[in-house]
Amino acid sequence: MEDYKFLFKIVLVGNAGVGKTCLVRRFTQGLFPPGQGATIGVDFMIKTVEVEGEKIKLQIWDTAGQERFRSITQSYYRSAHALILVYDISCQPTFDCLPDWLREIQEYANSKVLKILVGNKTDRDDREIPTQIGEEFAKQHDMYFLETSAKEAENVERLFYEIAAELIDQARSKDGTNVNKTTADAIGLGNFGTKATQNSCCSGFSSNTSQTNCENGNSRSNT
Amino acid sequence: MISSMDTNEANNMQSDLVKIQDEEEAINSNLENLLSKQSILDSKMNAICYFLGALNTVSTDSKKLSSQISHTSDLAESVSAKVRSVDMARSRASECQKRVHDLIDLQLCSQGVLNAIEEEDYEKGSALIGRFLSIDQNVLRRTAGDVGSNGSVTSVSDAVHTLEKATEKMRKLVVIRFDEAVNKDDLASVERFLKLFPLLGMHQDGIEKFGKYICMKLAVKCEKELRSSLDIAKAENRLSVAFADTLTTLLENFARVIEVNKPIIETYYGSGYLIILATLLQNECDLEVKNVILEFNKNRRIADLIQQINEYNRSMGGNMPSLIQFQKQSLNTDKPQPKDLDALILELTIMHSRVELYFRFLKRKVKSDIEASDKDANEKEQQIQRLSTILNNSDLSRKMQEILSTYLLFERHFMEESVYKAIILDTFEVGQQCSSMVDDVFYILRKCIRRSLTTQSVNGLCAVINNTASCLCNFISALKIPLKNGYPSGYTDLAYSAIQSAVQHGKLQSSDSEKARSNFINRLNNADMSTEFLETLWETVEQDIKNTFPSLSVTEQRIVDSCIAELRNVRDTLKACVNFGMTQLRSSAIKPRLNPWIDQFFNYSHILSEEELADYEAGETFIQTLIVQLDAFLSQFKNVLTPRNFDAFVSILTSDTTSRLERAIKKSSFNRLGGLILDQQIRALSSYLTGVTSWSVRDKMTRLTQIATILNLEKVEELSDYWGPDNENESPSWRLTPQEVRTLLALRIDFRIDDIKRIKL
Repeated sequence: MEDYKFLFKIVLVGNAGVGKTCLVRRFTQGLFPPGQGATIGVDFMIKTVEVEGEKIKLQIWDTAGQERFRSITQSYYRSAHALILVYDISCQPTFDCLPDWLREIQEYANSKVLKILVGNKTDRDDREIPTQIGEEFAKQHDMYFLETSAKEAENVERLFYEIAAELIDQARSKDGTNVNKTTADAIGLGNFGTKATQNSCCSGFSSNTSQTNCENGNSRSNT
Repeated sequence: MISSMDTNEANNMQSDLVKIQDEEEAINSNLENLLSKQSILDSKMNAICYFLGALNTVSTDSKKLSSQISHTSDLAESVSAKVRSVDMARSRASECQKRVHDLIDLQLCSQGVLNAIEEEDYEKGSALIGRFLSIDQNVLRRTAGDVGSNGSVTSVSDAVHTLEKATEKMRKLVVIRFDEAVNKDDLASVERFLKLFPLLGMHQDGIEKFGKYICMKLAVKCEKELRSSLDIAKAENRLSVAFADTLTTLLENFARVIEVNKPIIETYYGSGYLIILATLLQNECDLEVKNVILEFNKNRRIADLIQQINEYNRSMGGNMPSLIQFQKQSLNTDKPQPKDLDALILELTIMHSRVELYFRFLKRKVKSDIEASDKDANEKEQQIQRLSTILNNSDLSRKMQEILSTYLLFERHFMEESVYKAIILDTFEVGQQCSSMVDDVFYILRKCIRRSLTTQSVNGLCAVINNTASCLCNFISALKIPLKNGYPSGYTDLAYSAIQSAVQHGKLQSSDSEKARSNFINRLNNADMSTEFLETLWETVEQDIKNTFPSLSVTEQRIVDSCIAELRNVRDTLKACVNFGMTQLRSSAIKPRLNPWIDQFFNYSHILSEEELADYEAGETFIQTLIVQLDAFLSQFKNVLTPRNFDAFVSILTSDTTSRLERAIKKSSFNRLGGLILDQQIRALSSYLTGVTSWSVRDKMTRLTQIATILNLEKVEELSDYWGPDNENESPSWRLTPQEVRTLLALRIDFRIDDIKRIKL
């Protein structure tokens, strides 16, 4: 019997080449392997993290971005606790495909799944999607938003830790172990925002950004 | 000493003199003694002087020895140096000999080669050139220089020159002849010249040319086969798998080329060259497969089907259609029917597994060839890496992934549609506990998972298991709908016929609610049976996976395990569904009936005289009536519920009976005889309930039994026989708190409060 309190499944999706595998590798192994081949079907990594004093086992499913693997990857959506939708900030087409991905998530995933929009490759200087545009999109579609760089290890840990924290809060409020569900939600949803201000040195994250995240979170809890 | 003596007195002086004389004697004897030792000392001194002389000799001897040893070592060193130089000389001699041999061979070669070429004896010519090329060219040139300084420069360098020219000529010739043979499609000549390339140092060219030749031949063959494939399939009555058959033949052709030519290439070229041939073949294979797949897609209308299914799925929005919606949908003929897809799915699985097997074969062959080559480990690793990159990036592997994708789409559609159909066409036969859909649904799921195993793809298998889990979730919600409505014999119907129907319950119900009731029970049974089927399903699937993929990688195993764990979650949902149904049954079927029955307890007096006791026992007792009622009630469910559900049902009934009865007891008063009767009654109830189920209800009865024991006491003090640490081994531990025991004792009107207070608990 392994020693952990919660097991969460996190699935990464998004166009081919946006850096899903690199994000996962960076987080699970601390590596940035350049020149990765395309993922075939799905890959699978486990990392146990400690959040709020609890041991959490994260099952991270890295999916292939190419169209021909879609029917394999789709089958993993249903059991996911969180879905990370990744695009490349230096590649407009990967952003343009987001509505298609959302449609697919809508079709196959649990309606209550936690959704996070991630703009990857902030290390590149040929940015095509301004942070604000990504934020706007996330807000419109009830998603959290974060910009990362797997290469520079920026915001990668934070991304997964905050997902874990949010999922714990969800699980607790569902269990009814928390006294008040609404407060539990408020704490959980604050995570992305509050940490954003703490790490304001991170590129692409002004205190303004964190503000939007908070609002975004609140609108979620209201709906 | 003298001064210390008293010299004044004569007597004293006398005695002192004697003393002094004595001392003088002692000193004299001492001196004599010492003098006597002098001679011994002298002789010892002499001996020492003698040995000193001897020691000098030893010292000179040892010096001599040391110089001799160093001399010997010098000698040894010079000997070994000589041996070394002899050794070197010998190796030089043998090198020289080899060079002489080389030179002799060189002469022979240069003499023979032209003749050979003239006589078109290419084997001989190539062999001679091969010999020439095997001589180290640098050494040869140096030899030529050495020999040249002695005057006869011409013979060696001439020979080298001749041979170099001959090699050039021979290379050209072989290429020309090989091309000629290819053009004439003369397989014997092709093979003849194929063997000559490595002799001329043209390994790469040889294999490339040969590869091209084979590819050309295969292209022709494949085209012919593709054209005749449908006819053959028709003739052999395998039309439904015609393209799978064609693909199989095609891949077999390529595999055979590798199989047949691997030993030839290894014999004449050595190990490590197969990868060149494999790469060439793969390019050709990609092209050929593309044609087959094109033809397949066109012929089987794959694109149309994919579009139809996608559109249908989109219109459903990923949700299970409600049953009414589905009936409308099934009229819609646009949607591909599962039975039409069935054959096509089979063909797709065959195609995928063939490609998978082909890749495995290719990898194994080329890998073993690379392993056998004399390159270093690092280079081998690189080669193997290159091989998998080539195969992974090949068009065939892309096509294979597309096939798998199509298969998964179709399989999911097949599974979902068949399951919906099974739910809609659900029939219930009288006398059965479950309806047809449980068998049907699990048959379908099992079939789909089995079929996914035949693709030989772990990814495919996992996706199908995932789809199975989501399909089952839909199935559970279908099961749950009637359960949510509750067991239709609610409180209202009971109010009408509570008393009349107590014994002959069921006959008074209208047929409509009868139907709804059996529907409810049926779903409850279905859910229970499904948990069992699901457990069997994943056990057999795990076994099947072990058989199909005996050597999964760690990651693959983890992925598979995680997908199967998903089925376990579904099982828990199913169990929750059964429990939900049970609570429904409890609130609408058990509670309303049970409570009035047990409340009859109040209608009997529990304070009895001996006479009244006799009367009571003669008449119909409370417990007899209750057991008859319970029995009639249970018998309605005994045969309609599955054994597990029935046990759960009895368990709920028992809990409810005991807790209600306990409440009734606590509200009554007893005397000694009343307690006696109660104890008898509880025993009767306990033995009845134990008799109706397969597992023990005794545990649930413990509290009640203990209450009866307390109320059946003769005297308050007797309690200490039962209560306390001494008795813990004999009877089950007490479920009652001391406070409860006191309250219960107080129910006996004949017990004095003071006694009860006094008792130690």
